[in-house]
Amino acid sequence: MVVDLRHKDFPQEASAAPIESLDNQQSVVLTVEKLALSLGGKEILQQVGFSLPASGVTSVIGPSGAGKSSLLRCLNGLETGWSGSVQIDGSDIRQWRGGWDQLRRHVGLIAQKPLVFDASIRANVCFGLHGWRQRRRADELVKTSLQQAALWDEVCERLDAPATTLSVGQQQRLCIARAIAIKPKILLLDEPTASLDPRSKQLIEQSMLQLAQAIPLVCVTHDLEQAQRLKGQVIFMCDGRVIEQAASHQLFNQPQQIETREFLRWNVCDCD
Amino acid sequence: MSVASQQYRYTPGKALVLLLALPALLIPTMVLCYIFWQAAPVLNWGFLFGTADGVGFGVTEGIFSQLVGSLLLAIMACLIAIPFALGTALYYRTFATPWQQRLLNAMFNMLQGIPPIVFGLCGLVVLVNLFSWGVSLLSGAVVLAVVVLPLLVLNTLATLERIPNEYSEAGSALGLTKGAIILRLWLPRSWLQLLTGLLLAMARALSETAPIMFTATVFSGVVWPDSIFSPVTTLQTHIFYLAQEGNEPLLISIAWGSAAVLVLLVASFGLLARLLQKLGDN
Repeated sequence: MVVDLRHKDFPQEASAAPIESLDNQQSVVLTVEKLALSLGGKEILQQVGFSLPASGVTSVIGPSGAGKSSLLRCLNGLETGWSGSVQIDGSDIRQWRGGWDQLRRHVGLIAQKPLVFDASIRANVCFGLHGWRQRRRADELVKTSLQQAALWDEVCERLDAPATTLSVGQQQRLCIARAIAIKPKILLLDEPTASLDPRSKQLIEQSMLQLAQAIPLVCVTHDLEQAQRLKGQVIFMCDGRVIEQAASHQLFNQPQQIETREFLRWNVCDCD
Repeated sequence: MSVASQQYRYTPGKALVLLLALPALLIPTMVLCYIFWQAAPVLNWGFLFGTADGVGFGVTEGIFSQLVGSLLLAIMACLIAIPFALGTALYYRTFATPWQQRLLNAMFNMLQGIPPIVFGLCGLVVLVNLFSWGVSLLSGAVVLAVVVLPLLVLNTLATLERIPNEYSEAGSALGLTKGAIILRLWLPRSWLQLLTGLLLAMARALSETAPIMFTATVFSGVVWPDSIFSPVTTLQTHIFYLAQEGNEPLLISIAWGSAAVLVLLVASFGLLARLLQKLGDN
């Protein structure tokens, strides 16, 4: 059941507790420490720190301009002018063998606006395939990726049709298939269901939950109900900082920080 | 009164604007009509596909060797200019810092404004004399390449600017290298517009006379070039020569005929470019 958060009364006993870390039992695949980013003289991210488990969805919520999308761009290496430390499986991504391009093959990023290339559906899925091992298995990868993105049944008869003929919802699922075809270690999604119809939204969420069983997913969303449906961890960001990180049920039912409570109640945040 | 009828109502202001605009439409149309009117007596297959013996300046025969010479120069010039134009535009888009971009922009806009005869003079000094390439197809093609380079660069830049950043970022997010993004995303998406620019550059190269007069063409003695180091005859210089012999009516009518063919050639490249642009936009 999805709870209406807007006028919910949260327990008042919560104190300004430190940002909750992950259960030590879970193996951590991504660790971010003191991540800071400035663009055009403006501080976009400040001292951001959190960890991701080896699987499951981590939703990133927060008001517009909180730095959520910039955070994903830093993790994927599209923004490279940041400071701090980002480690994947214990390796600093700045020291990644093969540089940023190689890193991006391990950290997939799906943008809010579905962007398919001017090619067939099959070619779109194969776009990021790298090396003869992946290319040799192209047909198999196309099928499994489209299945995982819940698109196979709709396009299996017309894989050679232009990808631009798909609906917006289908195009977004094709982008997910394209990203997972290259077997990323982590998948980042920047508001993947924004402005999609409910059916497409549902299919993408199902696909995300299925994918999250194998790899960690980080999903930026403005849809708090979606963050609840995706379960897993939730990170609340405001003004370029991580205010709170906790399990979904805990953050939505017993937020520890005043800013989080305000945001969940009024959908606004005044962190300055 | 409906908006449509207001739009078509003549007012003194509209009449004045129309009066000023009419000459711009009428004069070129009249000039074109006059060219084809004068050229009509000599335009036939024999004129188009006949060749002069190399001595009589095409007076008694056709203009085929001049036509081929013009096309050869234009094609070679574009072939030489394309890699540099593409390289410059890609550097501008992928690696150049903002001040380098400003510098390149200013430089190519300035280069576009330099009179082509200046390039011809440089070609004469450097290519013909210093490099000892002589008056040749190669010297002319290189000079013409320099003349059309700014046009090609600016067109390629405009084409690449039209590719949204999100498109390139979607490729980057998949781990594609810059080279792969250029080859697999940018070029397939923009090849029609690039071809349009190429055709416009061809039309520009065909229109140029001054730079090739010093560096590539002779008026007589040659029908077909033996190699890239041979001089050529071209339509542009052919017209120039025949027009100087203004007393002979036959020569003048052949000049009109050559002019009409050159206009048709340039116009066909321009029209094809527009067609491709429309296709690309769709």
